[in-house]
This record gives sequence, structure tokens and C-alpha cells, in this order.
Amino acid sequence: MRRPTLTALVVLVGLLLIADLLVVNTAVAQAAGIVIDAAILVAAGAALAAVAALGARRIADLWRRRGDPVAAVFVLVGMFLMLAAGLRPGSAGTADPAVQWLVAALLVPIGASLFGLLFVTTLAAARRSLAARSREGTVLVAAALLTTILLVPLAGGIGSWMADSAGWLLAGPIGAVFRGLLIGIGLLTAVYAARTLLGMAAADE
Amino acid sequence: MSERARLLAPLLLVIALAVAWQLPGADWLRLSDPDPGDAERITATLGTLGDEPLVLVGFDADIGTYAEIRPTVRSLIADLLAREARLAFVSLTAEGRALATAELGRLGRGEANPTRLLDLGFIPGAEAGLVDLTRELRVSDTADSAFAREVGVAGIGAFDAVLVIGGNDLGPRSWIEQVAPRIGEIPFLAVTPTVLLPEVQPYLAGGALEAVLATPRAGAAYRESLDLGNLARLTDPIEPRPLPVLIGMLIAVAVLGQALGARAVDSLRAARSREAG
Repeated sequence: MRRPTLTALVVLVGLLLIADLLVVNTAVAQAAGIVIDAAILVAAGAALAAVAALGARRIADLWRRRGDPVAAVFVLVGMFLMLAAGLRPGSAGTADPAVQWLVAALLVPIGASLFGLLFVTTLAAARRSLAARSREGTVLVAAALLTTILLVPLAGGIGSWMADSAGWLLAGPIGAVFRGLLIGIGLLTAVYAARTLLGMAAADE
Repeated sequence: MSERARLLAPLLLVIALAVAWQLPGADWLRLSDPDPGDAERITATLGTLGDEPLVLVGFDADIGTYAEIRPTVRSLIADLLAREARLAFVSLTAEGRALATAELGRLGRGEANPTRLLDLGFIPGAEAGLVDLTRELRVSDTADSAFAREVGVAGIGAFDAVLVIGGNDLGPRSWIEQVAPRIGEIPFLAVTPTVLLPEVQPYLAGGALEAVLATPRAGAAYRESLDLGNLARLTDPIEPRPLPVLIGMLIAVAVLGQALGARAVDSLRAARSREAG
């Protein structure tokens, strides 16, 4: 169902922000500032709501004895420790040594370790895509194999040639594909924004 | 692959990497870029910043790719401090904020001059936050250094350069799009993981970005070029070792090559059986 109020709001905000970028005017700048502040508050509120929802979900999991109780306990204990370290009386907030220790000694290494598993899982995914006999998957894996071989850190003349070739591959063909995707996403965003601004969005959008 | 082999493979990988980490370096391996152009460009740009420059560090690395750029980021921060720069850190992503907090804590433990560091904290809202910081930079009440007062009064106009530590969520592209048009012409520098290279290159070629270190090889070449003296204590104590990197890459090549080879053999067999049939 079309919502004219929402469309009008989007049109107004869009025009205001464009005007603020193009025109030097105190009143326009102040109005744009209010809109930007509102966007920041909404983003901050959404982030807090997401964290609260995660905590509530884990508490409900424990209460109703569903899901993984160990994971739920870890999540809740982690949230409690971080909140206690940052909000206890006398704490310096994010600059507090306890918060910094929790982040540097636990949060970052645990996160990095999880992402380190991508080495294994990405290789497994590549093998699965080949096993599925997908033509796109074959091209993808062949390109990954070629790039990986060229990035092998050898010294000497061969190493320089491989490094140059890898640089060309990343900057040329692979970069072109990435940029093509980005341009495509940009065009689609612009078209969708224009349709919204002009009130042409389809009923199910 | 049997179940036992499936379980043992990651363990063997970890053992191989651990052994490789302990072995001495080999002359036939070289991590740094043979063409140090990127490193020279960033050094040249830092050289143009004048005395005691104020640098705004947009720290929005993500935990997944930070390991790739961490040695370069730490060396660049040490290089800036060696040039007597004053650095203000701001983050617009939660992961960037966590990593910035960890790095600021590390700089504190390394006894970096605290009067040259300023924590501007976290601004939510991503692009909206970037626009906001061009209008006003909120300095914490607890920050009472001359640097903090200068930034509090002049806002983003106080800075001589912007250094973007990019990640998957927010990188130099957003800074160039949202911040550059709203402030005076100051150089934008960036350190990003390789995955951002394709979107960063056009801005580098167009001059919107002055210099970028976007590959591990460019980062290694930059680190090799540094002579930080006493401030070398702020860099990573151990440089990335090429041998474990090589072993990891060879394992990846072997796994992918075997899978591709098996696929090619299957296709050939299928084609031959069609011909025979």
C-alpha cells in the first residue's frame, strides 16, 4: 500500500540534504543538521535496541530451555561484564582499563579467531561449489587459484613478475568486475531513490 | 575424505603453521612489494604536512580483516607520532570503535605521548555520522589538553590531514563522498584491506585520495622503509613471517587445484562417454 506521508517525508529530507550540500545558507544548514541528528539518534537507538533484543532473546532461550544454553550464558555473561566494567560507579566508560582489557584481550582475539576459520570454511565452500558442477563456481575458483598463485611471496625476478601480474589482475579484470558491481548497485540505488522521490514506488515496495 | 582425515586436517594445518613460524627466514621469500610506489607516495604525503600536523584518524577497521592491515596501521601511527603529529581518533562503526579502543590502550601502554592523542569516541549513524562530524566535533569533557581545546574550537577545520583506517563496513569511499566535499582541501590517506582495493583505486587515480596502502605487500614495503628510532616500540614486535604465509597459500593452492583438477577430469570423462555413446 502506498504511503504518501512517507514519500513526502523522503522527498523533503532528500531535497533538504541536497540543498545543504549545494547552497551556503544558515537556515538550510540548521534544518539539515536537525535531520542528520535525527538520523544519528535513530541509528544509535536501533543499535541499542538490537543489543537489548539479543539479550532478551538469550534470556528467553534460557527461561524456556531452548537453543544452546551454554552459548546463551556466554552471551549474557559477556554483556554483563562489559556493562559492569563501563557503567560501574567511578568507571571511565570506554576508556576504563577494565573495558580496554575486555576488548583487547577477549573481544578482538575471539572475533579474529572466528574470522581465521574463514580460511578453512572458504576452501570447503569452494570445493562444494565445484562438486555442484556450477560453471560460475568453476570460474570463481579458477580465478581464486590463479590470484593465489601469483600472490605467493617469492623474491627475485620471478617474484617481481608474479607481484606485477597479481597487481595487474587485482587492478584490472578483478577490479573491473568489483567496480561494475558497485556501479550497478549505485545505479539501482539512484533509480530506486528517484522513484521514491517522485512517488513512483510500486505498491509492494 | 574420511571423517578422521576431516578432523585431523585443521590440526595438521595449525601444527604446520606453528612450525613454519618458528623456522628462520628464507632469502628466497619476500613479503614486500618490489615496486615501493605506494609506500613512497604515503611517505611523501606525510612529508608535506608541516610541523606538528593535526591528523584525524577515522578508525573503522573490521575485526575480520584487521589482521591484514594491523602491522601497517601500527607502523603508520608510530611514523606520524615520530613526525610529531597529533592524532585524534574517531570511529563510526562498533567494530572500529572496539579496535580503536584496543589500539589507544596499546599506545598508552607503549607510553606514547598522551598530549598527542585524542579520543573522539564513537559516532553512530555511519554516513550521517560522517556528515555530522564535518559540522561539529564533540570533545569529551574529560579531555582537557591544548589539542582537545583546539579541536573543540575549530572542529574538523583544525586538521591538516585525514587518515582513514578502512574496513568492510566503512572505508575511504564514504569519507571521500561525505566529508571531502564539506571541508577544505586537505589530504586524505588510507590503509585498507585488499578487498577494498577495487573501490579505492578510482579515488586514488582521481586524486581524491592522496595515498593508499591497500595490499599486504605495499604495507610491508612501507614498513621496510621506516626508521622510527625509539618509537619502533609502538609497532608490531614481530613482522609477519613469509614462510607461514607461503604454507597457508600452498595449502589453499593444493586444495583448490585438486578440486579443479577433479572437476576437469570428470568433465573430460563425461565428454568421452558422450562421444563413445
